[in-house]
Amino acid sequence: MKRFHIISKALAVVLLLTATACKKNFSDPSKATEDKVFTTIRGLNAVTVGLQRSYTLGRASSLYNKVTADGFLTNQYIIVNRGNSAEDQLERGGGAVDGTNTIMAGLWTNSNKIIYDADNVINAAKGLNDKSYASGLIGYCSIFKVLALGDMAMFWEKIPAGIGTNVDFIARADGFAKAITIIDEALAAIAANPISATFTANMPTGIDVVNTLLALKARYALFIGDYPKALATANLVSPAIKSYFNFDATSVNPIFETATATDNVYEPIDSTLGLLTTLQPDLADKRVPFYTRISTTGGSRFRVNGFGAALLTQFPIYLPGEITLIKAECLARQASPDLVNAQNNLNSILTKAPATDPYGVGAQLPAIAGQLNQADLLTQIYRNRCIELYMSGLKLEDMRRFNRPNTEKRRNLLPYPFRERDNNPNTPADPAF
Amino acid sequence: MKNVTIKRPWKMYCALLVGLFLAGFVGAQVTIKGKVTDDKGNGIPGASVAVKGSNEGTATEVDGTFSLRMNLPKKDYILAVSSVGFASAEKKFTVSGVEATVNISLFADAAGLDEVIVTGTSAGTTKKQLGSFVTTLKADQLNKGIPSAALQSLQGKVAGAQISQNSGDPSGGMSVRLRGISSINGSSEPLYIVDGVIVNNATNRVTNTQSGYDGGGFVGTIGQSRMSDINPADIDHVEVLNGAAAAAIYGSRANAGVVQIFTKRGANSAPVVSFSTNYMMSSLRKQVPHNMAPTKFGGPTDGPTAQTQDILSPALTNTTAVTRYNYWDYIFRDASGTDNNLSIRGGNDKTKYFASASYFYNEGIIKNTDYNRFSFRVNLDQTINKWASMSAGLNYINSAANEKPDGNSFFSPMNSITILGNFHNFWQRDALGNLQAVGERGRINPVSVLEDFKQRNETNRVLGNMSLKLKPFKGFTLDYTMGIDNYSQNGTTYLPPYTYNASPAFWGGGATLDPTQNGYASAASNNFFQINHEVNATYQINIIDDLASTTQVGYSAQYEKNKYILTQGRGLAPLVETVNGASTAIPGVDSRSEISVSGYYLQQNFKWRNHIFITGAVRVDGSSVFGEDERNQVYTKASGSYVFSSTDYWKNLGVSKWWDLAKVRVAYGESGNLTGIGAYDRFNSYSTNSYLSRTALFSSTGLANTKVKPERQQETEFGADLGFLRNRVNVTFNYYIKKVSDLLINRQVAPTTGFSTLLDNFGSLENKGFELVVNATPFKKKDFSWDVTGIFSHNRNKATKIGQALTLLSTNAGAPVAIIEGQPIGIFYGTFFAVDASGNQIKSATGIPQLEKGIQNSVLGYTTQRDPLTGLPLGTGTTLRKIIGDPNPDYTTSLINTFNYKGLSLRVQLDAVKGGEVFNADFRTRQGVGNGEIAEQEDKGLVPRGYISGIYAVEQWRISDGSYTKLRELSVSYDFGKIGPFSSLTASAAGRNLISWDNYNGFDPEVNAAGQSTILRNIDFGAVPIPRTFSIGVSAKF
Repeated sequence: MKRFHIISKALAVVLLLTATACKKNFSDPSKATEDKVFTTIRGLNAVTVGLQRSYTLGRASSLYNKVTADGFLTNQYIIVNRGNSAEDQLERGGGAVDGTNTIMAGLWTNSNKIIYDADNVINAAKGLNDKSYASGLIGYCSIFKVLALGDMAMFWEKIPAGIGTNVDFIARADGFAKAITIIDEALAAIAANPISATFTANMPTGIDVVNTLLALKARYALFIGDYPKALATANLVSPAIKSYFNFDATSVNPIFETATATDNVYEPIDSTLGLLTTLQPDLADKRVPFYTRISTTGGSRFRVNGFGAALLTQFPIYLPGEITLIKAECLARQASPDLVNAQNNLNSILTKAPATDPYGVGAQLPAIAGQLNQADLLTQIYRNRCIELYMSGLKLEDMRRFNRPNTEKRRNLLPYPFRERDNNPNTPADPAF
Repeated sequence: MKNVTIKRPWKMYCALLVGLFLAGFVGAQVTIKGKVTDDKGNGIPGASVAVKGSNEGTATEVDGTFSLRMNLPKKDYILAVSSVGFASAEKKFTVSGVEATVNISLFADAAGLDEVIVTGTSAGTTKKQLGSFVTTLKADQLNKGIPSAALQSLQGKVAGAQISQNSGDPSGGMSVRLRGISSINGSSEPLYIVDGVIVNNATNRVTNTQSGYDGGGFVGTIGQSRMSDINPADIDHVEVLNGAAAAAIYGSRANAGVVQIFTKRGANSAPVVSFSTNYMMSSLRKQVPHNMAPTKFGGPTDGPTAQTQDILSPALTNTTAVTRYNYWDYIFRDASGTDNNLSIRGGNDKTKYFASASYFYNEGIIKNTDYNRFSFRVNLDQTINKWASMSAGLNYINSAANEKPDGNSFFSPMNSITILGNFHNFWQRDALGNLQAVGERGRINPVSVLEDFKQRNETNRVLGNMSLKLKPFKGFTLDYTMGIDNYSQNGTTYLPPYTYNASPAFWGGGATLDPTQNGYASAASNNFFQINHEVNATYQINIIDDLASTTQVGYSAQYEKNKYILTQGRGLAPLVETVNGASTAIPGVDSRSEISVSGYYLQQNFKWRNHIFITGAVRVDGSSVFGEDERNQVYTKASGSYVFSSTDYWKNLGVSKWWDLAKVRVAYGESGNLTGIGAYDRFNSYSTNSYLSRTALFSSTGLANTKVKPERQQETEFGADLGFLRNRVNVTFNYYIKKVSDLLINRQVAPTTGFSTLLDNFGSLENKGFELVVNATPFKKKDFSWDVTGIFSHNRNKATKIGQALTLLSTNAGAPVAIIEGQPIGIFYGTFFAVDASGNQIKSATGIPQLEKGIQNSVLGYTTQRDPLTGLPLGTGTTLRKIIGDPNPDYTTSLINTFNYKGLSLRVQLDAVKGGEVFNADFRTRQGVGNGEIAEQEDKGLVPRGYISGIYAVEQWRISDGSYTKLRELSVSYDFGKIGPFSSLTASAAGRNLISWDNYNGFDPEVNAAGQSTILRNIDFGAVPIPRTFSIGVSAKF
């Protein structure tokens, strides 16, 4: 009997030891679960900052992808090392850019991700009691949502109508229009309840929400040819205010990190900025040394400068010069063109000294003397957009708007990523070029 | 049971299992003496000897003699003898006086059918009874080829296994694939069990912690795998179970097979002290060609302004004279190492012990890399009383490696060379001794990598196990095993601030030597704790004389806890090697996980006479990583075997004179994959890192189905075991079909869903194949014998369903790894050369091959298009893709010849892997930067200018033949026998990886830069080649 006594004791010990292993519900202490994130202000706040991180951090960011894709497709850069296959495809253009291209697919994926999370925050913010905080969240998130929509609309013929499974597509012009609607809603929320100082303190420094929303509205209104709206909105943007993506030593400027610092990916093509002889910058144009740098110590001769110059260089979301050029273009293009004021605006860009621009972008050239006709004025506006907004990611849209021939581009529009085409039957056909 | 002396040393159960059952006899005291010998007349020590029908047994002495004293009535008896490595034998004898002498000789059991197998059963059974295939390897088969790690010793010796060394680092990781890949999302490594306890074989990234270069996880699983902690010299034998069919006892963690290691144990003998020492020399087996052209294209040849990218800039046509260097001579060296082992074993019939201490030190063939391991082990077996025994084991390991960054970065030893044209005198220093920039691209000077980088990986580990075995009444056994595995692995990395322009992507400060960026330091630690419990109850009974039954029930539970902490920073203060010297903190990692797995099973086995064996089992398993409702899954298995040669009618057949063994078997088994996803992979969560000093949360790129369930594997195996000519020739054949359904795939989804991937049970895959093992002894005389083993394995892996036509993975090395329905997993799918109707490359007017273009109709279907004017691929066509290579071999085979002449032994092992391809990223890079052989041709004008640039984008250019035949092991040893104070003295010389016959355009086709990754296979990207190793050694016993 003693034997069985020992056995039963042993069994009891065994059961006790093994019982501890039966617990099976563990949760991850290092992450926040999706269902809880959107129920607190702190959670909404953090996701909002996360949007800026997705948009601006590193080589996978929308910022890097947009500036890189646009620059290659519009002949602004040369490739330094063809081992960078995504950049190489874009540089070769045409059929070489395929659905696997990581820059193209990255921009697409990141844009949709940003829209997904921005929607979550905007919807949840509407239910907050603190309306002044909510308007901040809505405004800040709307900036990234419309940037994501606008980025897709600048590169693709059709863009997704929303987020979901097998989503439909809408024309890219409708994408810009949708962005304008989102901006109007955000501006209305802010007008009703001005953004609280607490909210602003919780966001990274650098972005002026209202001016940025107005500038983006003016930009997209221009893109869809709504010149009265573009002009009226541009007139509301304060010219002296800077609104930019900030960086620190941990999260550095992605253009600098990948291109400038390595001289191993791409560099500016040369001091012509890739423009045809007739459109090239004047030799005295001070914007050329602002955007490019000449290296005499080996490697590429022309180097990235401007908004990819250094580790912590701030990247503007819009430039004051863009706003002035929007005004000039609207005046020149509106139903009853005002060529005199259009040229005055253009001249203010040409004569602007670097020191008087908040970012130091200034041509400091003489004004155009006689009155230009509409066509020539628009050509000069295009030329100055190319120079003033070098490496901003806006040139491909400008080339289409100003009817530049496809021979000047590497591609007119991008194909859709395989990842979308393979998994969404509503993906439109790829454009021929 | 009154006055019978029952000696029950637990080893004797082996003998009892042969078919003896307890019975009481009363008779006169008789002494049965004799000797057990092999067919050469040498005594066999440690053989089990028992009188059938009694409960008495003993083990033979060192010289093979035995003596049994027992009460026996005068009549005829049968003596049953068994010993590991020999076929069991029985001999009739008669008791007529007080003494009986029985001599018996045993034949080698080349097929191992009488070996006791414990894998898959708790009580142990003979191989003869098993319905599924198990490989058994003994220490002398494992350790002749001087393996530096336990898994190396298995290479080429296990049918159905592809075992490859992924890196030539002295602690380089090993991959073991038993019957192909069994999972996509999780690991396909088998379950490792040491002395009955599950042992963790994770690869933890405590060094190479920089996240910048790999896109966050496309590199695979790089570095040491923790099985490297097991000292090969401690191993007594290894059992490898290829399939899930027999693994019910281990449950679903064993879905990729089981490798069970048994370490040496004590013996009922006087203490025996063993000592062995080996000296090893390693060197690079083969250098790849380097450019020796006297000129390069374009301008400055050296210094910070040197134009390094000359080959890829075809516009440069002027040439400059250069000095070419052989950089390989700089980074490689002849390395040496030592392996010392001291052990003692002994005991009495109640207590047996084994203790060992070992020190292993080996240098890497890359300068300034090495690995050392201290290991201590104690194994204890104690008989408590007539019905209880226990055993305990403790293993402490301290291992440390001085490493260099892994190959996947351009600041690793291999890639810092691969990325440079070989015309830089990078050894130059300025007056203050500072290194200079190499070229204008901010690349890392290889001297910095070899001399200044410090990267160290250190592990402290304790493995403990204890088991209790109770035999309270006849036929019933209860055993309980508890094991722990606890280690802490710490890594430190130090990249000192560079004195020259180094790219910030390589942790430099750029052209301005920005002090906030220049240099990198990290410290990481991974703490792992695992505890296992297993309880098994076994009841054996003879239902009738011819029918025996074994019933087993069991419960097992495992709990594991992992904590990983990383702290890192850049922009280091001068001379400070630790993270606190960093001026820019980089977000750290603090990740913790817990997993718990438990399951229970019932297994029933019937044995009809000695020739029909049937087993059935059902098991329920649950794992915390899956959704609550899907957690507990039921798995069944069944197997049967029929041994013709044990039947009565076989004995009367004519063939039985030369045909000793004929057995057929069939097995079916199901299992899951309980650790197929990470502890929290089913949750949809937001991660955090502060951004610009503000709290930030960001959602993951992948969405998971929270109700995800385990994969389900169904394996059917058919096999036969045949023995001929007194077992001089043995043949084993297996055919299997292994299907995995509910395959977990992190499938790509349309980004417009808000996510890039969705983790769910989308797919299925299958592996089909066969294995053939032939053991033969063509020649055997008293002094000379010749043994041959041939192993042939073929596996065909196929993704039968993946939920979409194509999943293309973007990898750090640029390898276009794809999963395509109907194709092997991990295939290379990419762009290729245009060829004409007769298969010749289409070339441009200047002689440059072209990329194929046309219309891609489907994943595998395309129509080529030609420009009607030039005949070249149509410029506006889409760049086409097809399958350009497959890392899975058609077959693997090995041939082992062993010759013994008196004390002299020669062993030769050839391993071959045929039919796979390697994606050699480094080959292309070497040409692109101008240090390779094609670059030399372009420099010399042997191929047109612009040739390399023209074909640089063709992914097919990076595919190379991965087939090889290797002289894997060659060893000679001489056993002096008893000499001087030694009871045994052996001197040996051995070589490993001596020769490789291959057509590979890199160092060694046995390579994987992605380490132990399941899907990323055969990628050559900065991996250290496997060295050629020689060793000489002495081992002695006294």
